[in-house]
Amino acid sequence: MPQVLVPTVCPYCGAGCQFFISVEKERATGIEYMPEHPASEGALCSKGNASLEVLYHQDRLRYPLKKTGDGWARISWHEAQELIVRGLGGALKKFGPERVGFLSSSKCTNEENYLIEKLARCLGSKNIDNCARLCHAPSVVGLNRTLGAAGMTNPIPDLANSKCVFIIGSNLAENHAILSRWINRAKDEGAVVIVADPRMTHTAWMADIFLQLKPGTDVALLNGLAHVIIKEGLIDKDYIAKLTRGYDELVEAVKDYSPEKVSEITGVPADDIIRAARAYAISPTSAILYSMGITQHCTGTDNVQAIANLALISGNLGKPGSGVMPLRGQNNVQGACDMGALAEFYPGYKKADDPETARFFSAGWGRGSLPVGRGLTATEMIDAAGKGDIKAMYIVGEDPMNSDPSSNHTHDALEKLDFLVVQDIFMTATAQMADVVLPAAVWAEKEGTYTSTERRVQWSRKAVSPPGEARSDLEIVCDVANHLGLDFDYPDAAAVLAEINRLVPQYGGITRERLDGMGLIWPCPDKDHPGTPILHSLGFKLQDGRASIMPVQYRAAAENASWDYPFILTTGRVAVHHNAGSMTRRSPSLIEREPELFVEINTNDAARLKIADGDEVLVTSLRGETSARARLTDKVKKGVVFMPFHFSGTNKLTTEVTDPEARIPEFKVSACKISWRD
Amino acid sequence: MPVYVDISRCIGCRSCEVACKRVHGGKGHVNVHMAGDHASVPVFCHHCEEATCTMACFTGALYKDGERTAFDVEKCTGCGLCRLACPFGVVWSDKIAHKCDLCAGRETPTCILSCPANALSTDFELASRRARTRAAMAAAHGGRR
Repeated sequence: MPQVLVPTVCPYCGAGCQFFISVEKERATGIEYMPEHPASEGALCSKGNASLEVLYHQDRLRYPLKKTGDGWARISWHEAQELIVRGLGGALKKFGPERVGFLSSSKCTNEENYLIEKLARCLGSKNIDNCARLCHAPSVVGLNRTLGAAGMTNPIPDLANSKCVFIIGSNLAENHAILSRWINRAKDEGAVVIVADPRMTHTAWMADIFLQLKPGTDVALLNGLAHVIIKEGLIDKDYIAKLTRGYDELVEAVKDYSPEKVSEITGVPADDIIRAARAYAISPTSAILYSMGITQHCTGTDNVQAIANLALISGNLGKPGSGVMPLRGQNNVQGACDMGALAEFYPGYKKADDPETARFFSAGWGRGSLPVGRGLTATEMIDAAGKGDIKAMYIVGEDPMNSDPSSNHTHDALEKLDFLVVQDIFMTATAQMADVVLPAAVWAEKEGTYTSTERRVQWSRKAVSPPGEARSDLEIVCDVANHLGLDFDYPDAAAVLAEINRLVPQYGGITRERLDGMGLIWPCPDKDHPGTPILHSLGFKLQDGRASIMPVQYRAAAENASWDYPFILTTGRVAVHHNAGSMTRRSPSLIEREPELFVEINTNDAARLKIADGDEVLVTSLRGETSARARLTDKVKKGVVFMPFHFSGTNKLTTEVTDPEARIPEFKVSACKISWRD
Repeated sequence: MPVYVDISRCIGCRSCEVACKRVHGGKGHVNVHMAGDHASVPVFCHHCEEATCTMACFTGALYKDGERTAFDVEKCTGCGLCRLACPFGVVWSDKIAHKCDLCAGRETPTCILSCPANALSTDFELASRRARTRAAMAAAHGGRR
């Protein structure tokens, strides 16, 4: 039987693993590994292995649908476009573009994100964002400010060269599993591994030094480490003098963060803080990896800056084995941000509030005037919808009903919209709220580029055709644009990529012809450039080539445990599920391994509440309640409980308090109580 | 040539379970066991030298083929004695028996290729070699900090 192997990029996390889909008679029949891949060496996590299960799932959306009085009616693409022209176009005319919102998808390709962002801005709306708002918005703000570029500074395999790997607020063993192979390799070569997390995660199993801090006290811990490093003279004086500014302010700012005081705030023993600080600063090359545990706080931007400070004072940037590494959660969340599907940036991180940016793109796109200024962020759009300030929304491949904090609030807000169009592969909770639902293709059914967490831009090929009348997001968006009076004439993804090459300097040399192998790492400004695996090796793209050390002060999380709500709820992911779970919960071999929502409770707390392992309990916060299966464990400390956010319910509890700068909600700290379910 | 585990590397991600199930028509032959909150270990067929499953099998469906404990589906009656005989719980029988076949027809067992943490191999010495390297590096650096 003729069998073809089609290389594709895994649709789950941001690690960027590639694998082959074997196709027989136009049907995907299996997966073959790709041992030559630089980041994964052919390995795949459980999700990657199960990825084909969603391809032919019975729940896939096959036809455009419109909401009727008692359910959904199948409509033609033509009718769907007419409804969109009436709904979206009508709102644009009646209320103006500033009252229409667009959510792009970090699961879509770079080309699609670029077009969605272009669509929004060509229609005059500043309100374009993607779910990076809910994961790495603080990294974009914080790292751009301190280091002049947001993104992992070093590639994944380079971790093997590190002599000290400091992981804070990331459970990479479960969520970016292939990274563990490089960390193991570093360990075999004598590297020390430090893990800071409120939970004894699978990642913590790798640790030589484990710092179990109280949720939301990261700035105190990081400042404490900086305090020890400065006090013991372990700083890199030459590096500070040559390549940074602001060191003296930092010395002043952290002088009160003695290990003893930090220990009181964080609950981490003072000796461990000193050991970790020494290990990090003494090692010739140290890398910091972080993820949602750092960013999803009302102090997210501060947390990121505190991390950058640590790397800067010890000179751990711009060389192999070092770096600051934000690990991205979605397969193309890095790309969605690069492509400007963000409220504050046009493509290539050109500031939206700079009139020069608008002039540059209006020339590039051949459009008269483009909106200047920062638009509403993903969470602000939902709030604005609730207040009636946003009248219509176009949501592509996002599920704010599950992924935004305080789900009940999101539900009410979406209900108030005059018109909502959702484009997705399954009938998600958000799609249920829509007036028109458009069926989209999944990764294996379309082509285009994805940018992994290590900034590696990879071309993914089309293996099979979409089911029914489903179409690729690229085709749908072009069609919507043309119906709304724009001229989006792109025959395929390569044509869009050619425009990106022209207008986004970092992607200048990442042309279709060069992407047949394992991709290129941006910045790659021209056709002969080999790509830039390690950032900042020749100084920083800021004033005088110097990075900014930005001192920050510890601020307590917005909520703390109280008499009525005595537990701190922190949220996260498990190995066999991904984000809002619309794919993994439909994957038989994944859902059977983790079938329902659970809440991890410390055994001592459970004993006091007379809760046994496996009991159905009610978790309540100020914003709502949900039931969950109790899981007794010593992974979490007394007073802390943990729930995964793959199941609807968890985000009914989380707080909508956001970081003042990056606008990310504080998913990681909410006060709650646990009671018996009657 | 069974699959050996470097327990210090296992991260409990269950990739081997899902990969095994994927290439064996929906029936997996690995159990990742969580050892409390602190470790995990995937349990595979050991391909025992004196395999009790082969001793219990009265039709010869399970037999030793060199190092491998092989299985001939044609001869299986589905009696389930092998399942009872296996001390590690890695022979199953629903209607007919199924167990690890070291991915017959493939160069390397799928679980080894798929393991994100590089914890699996067919090299019995690998885990101890790595441990020796780690200890030597630590000694050279004056002990782990």
